[in-house]
Amino acid sequence: MSKLGAGNWGDVCKRVDTCALTGAAAFVAGIPGTEILVNGPLWCYFYALRYLEHGANGMAQRFHGSQPDNTAVVYGSEKYILAALKRLQKEGSKPELLFIESSCSMSLIGDDLNGIAAKAGLKCPYVTMDCGGLLGGFVEGYTKAALCVLDKCLDLHAQPQERVINILGQTDFYLHGRDDTEEMVRLLCKAGYRLQAVPGSGSSLEQLRHLGNAQLNIVTNEELGLPLAEYLQKRCGTPYILAGLPYGIAGTQRWLEGIAKAMPAPKLADVYAEAESVEEYVTSLLNDARCQWGDLWADRIIISGPPTQALCLGETVRGEWVDTSELWVCCQRQLPHTAPKAYCQAADVIYVSGERELPWGDMAQFKGSLLLLGSSSESSLLYRQGRTDFINCNIAFPANEEIFLTNQPLVGLEGSKQLVQKLWNAYIRLCIQKQGEV
Amino acid sequence: MAIKTKRFISSRKSCSCSMPGVWRAVAYCEGVVVIFHSPKACAHVARTMDINAQYRTIADGRREDVGPVPLLASQLEEKHSIFGGVERLEACIAYAVQEYAPECLVIANSCVAGVIGDDVESVARRAEELYKLPVLSLDCCGFLDGEYYQGYYGITKLLVDRFLQPLPRKAGQVLLLGDNGGPWGHYAQEVTRLLNAMGVKVLGQFPGYMPFKELPKVATAEAIIVLGGRGQTHIGLSTIAKLLQDKLGIPYLAEYPVGWENTKKWLVDVGRLLGREQEAARVLAEEQKLFANRLQDYLKVTSKKKTVLCIGRLLQYFHPEAVLTTIRLLQLDLMGVVLLNAYDPKEKQKMVQELGKHPELRLYSAEEGEALLEEAELVLTTHELQNKQIKQIFLPMLPRVGTRGELDFMELIYRRLCSRIKGGLSYV
Repeated sequence: MSKLGAGNWGDVCKRVDTCALTGAAAFVAGIPGTEILVNGPLWCYFYALRYLEHGANGMAQRFHGSQPDNTAVVYGSEKYILAALKRLQKEGSKPELLFIESSCSMSLIGDDLNGIAAKAGLKCPYVTMDCGGLLGGFVEGYTKAALCVLDKCLDLHAQPQERVINILGQTDFYLHGRDDTEEMVRLLCKAGYRLQAVPGSGSSLEQLRHLGNAQLNIVTNEELGLPLAEYLQKRCGTPYILAGLPYGIAGTQRWLEGIAKAMPAPKLADVYAEAESVEEYVTSLLNDARCQWGDLWADRIIISGPPTQALCLGETVRGEWVDTSELWVCCQRQLPHTAPKAYCQAADVIYVSGERELPWGDMAQFKGSLLLLGSSSESSLLYRQGRTDFINCNIAFPANEEIFLTNQPLVGLEGSKQLVQKLWNAYIRLCIQKQGEV
Repeated sequence: MAIKTKRFISSRKSCSCSMPGVWRAVAYCEGVVVIFHSPKACAHVARTMDINAQYRTIADGRREDVGPVPLLASQLEEKHSIFGGVERLEACIAYAVQEYAPECLVIANSCVAGVIGDDVESVARRAEELYKLPVLSLDCCGFLDGEYYQGYYGITKLLVDRFLQPLPRKAGQVLLLGDNGGPWGHYAQEVTRLLNAMGVKVLGQFPGYMPFKELPKVATAEAIIVLGGRGQTHIGLSTIAKLLQDKLGIPYLAEYPVGWENTKKWLVDVGRLLGREQEAARVLAEEQKLFANRLQDYLKVTSKKKTVLCIGRLLQYFHPEAVLTTIRLLQLDLMGVVLLNAYDPKEKQKMVQELGKHPELRLYSAEEGEALLEEAELVLTTHELQNKQIKQIFLPMLPRVGTRGELDFMELIYRRLCSRIKGGLSYV
């Protein structure tokens, strides 16, 4: 029986992903000064835009669509692309890089995007790419776009410099992605490393050009960063480490230790001192909270999200924050290389969308206390089963239950405070909501 | 400088995709499984729509108590553009039958399947014979030869053709025809409230919200109340209603109770359709009383407030009459109507002609309108505007209906005018 025949189809209404069109745009949008033109139907463009708008402000001014009609599959999409480019030029758009991507149906008709862009006489550098759902989801789009952009801009003569690092696998379009990037950069710099770039999460084209300056590439979200790390190892000879994500205080220390083994950090003690101080602060306040509200316990914890994130979080949630009888971790896709257990030994069960589905249909029968760290996709499934009595904390998009106006990293020492605060406040709200039910 | 909208939409056709329409036509019909013959990502768009609709329901204080039927994608990949995706689809159907034991399968075709040229109709026929269950598919591929409504109406028509037969009709129960957020949505809730007030029960909502096994019950309705709309919604639903009338002998009402005037007319016409004129008159009187009381409260704030109406939506989707009536009832001072730069000349002319029925209106271009916005205390607009300093109310594609819908709209205008917070956009 084929892999798909064995059950890889699954109900999409119990999963989360986007089109590769979105993932590709997400990588490019993470580079300041860039703009993106989607050559594809308005429907595909609009849903990608709506996703991206949750991750960054002003996307509609950077993310454009050629909006062809159905005749484009017969006569080609050139006139629509040229019209869109003309409109952008008329509006004074001067991007540092214009990324032009075709959706799946537009890719199939074989329009020569490079030729059309050349015909338009663009005054800015541009990269073109066939994209869309045939390529895959967010991850496939992100990684292919990353390699296309690096092919265009990478300086192969760059020389490794002492203690210089890159962080690979970050995106502004995972929930709190930019905040996470900033916290990791803060911690690494405090530990004595020097940052070259974080592709896809705030670094400029010029910084990306010199990615080869790094002595070590640190891969965080493996599904996003590993293809870049392998590419840079091949092109620039830079070694890499699969570090995962630093959740929790002890988790952050473990993360830094792992990196320091690959490349020593001269000021690691500074971060440890901060970690000790944060731990003392958090413990003191939580002891106080326990006097009032009791222990934070869940009969079952479910964590669902992008794979590296869900697994690393699972390890920390059980090890540092919440006690439970059982921990289920659901990866919204497979990891490209590492076995899930390498990131998370604390889970009782690890589900992987497309391989082994979490049995959401059975959740109505589960009557115990529940903690969900996931997205609105998972909480919506519980709401429809009549369950609202669970501790809920969004760690991934979509996140319809919340708005985010402040910087809220989930990783590192700041992220640790943030997540513990969120979990406890959600728990306290639930206690108040359930008063009188005992 | 011209008024700028936040998002630029230039398409006049091929604005949407037929696959979500196919899905919505059976999305909550227990017993059905839907397969998108498409890349996986297309199905994720449907899931995004589903989540957003559910949270909108939650925001309205209601709860969806059932979830959608399983939605699978055949997960077309690049290699299928060369070798075709038929085998993939067949494997997906086999999985669906084994895993979910459906009573009916529905297949939606993507633009990719259309470009590749997969013969999905043949696959459906073979699957129907092999698995001994109905398999519906539509010759409509993504955005290639139709849009959302072609998918929605196409499957609805197939359901009517294949599964509905005349049955004795029962007095005092009607069928709601259309979607608009389903039984939990504002439209169905408001229409149900008004019908219940007349002593009429709602049998169910078709298509999309009746278990597959219960579809034959559609034929027992005394009448059909179309959850109408503009443009393609109205045309498509009226066509389906006519089909049901011809096949099952059920009369229908296809009016759109949006705005106060249309709501009053709708109540009278429902009463006439069901032979309940007296009940309708009683309900209308009660609604009028409620409406008049609330209006008096609003007028204290809304009267003479400087207002601008910005329109960029095609006439087939946005008829200005209802909002002009609201403006008049609230005694707002309409400084002018701005036509945004979202029209081609032909469509702009249609809208100008429509607005020309009100010679007192002052029309402005997007360039002229910028200055107007500076003075306005409120802007009612079909497109979110980039200007962050003005108070905007977004006029949705699917406005709320009935008395409560109109009062909700008025309440929002009232609150925005009470607000001392500068700028911002509100939805109703």
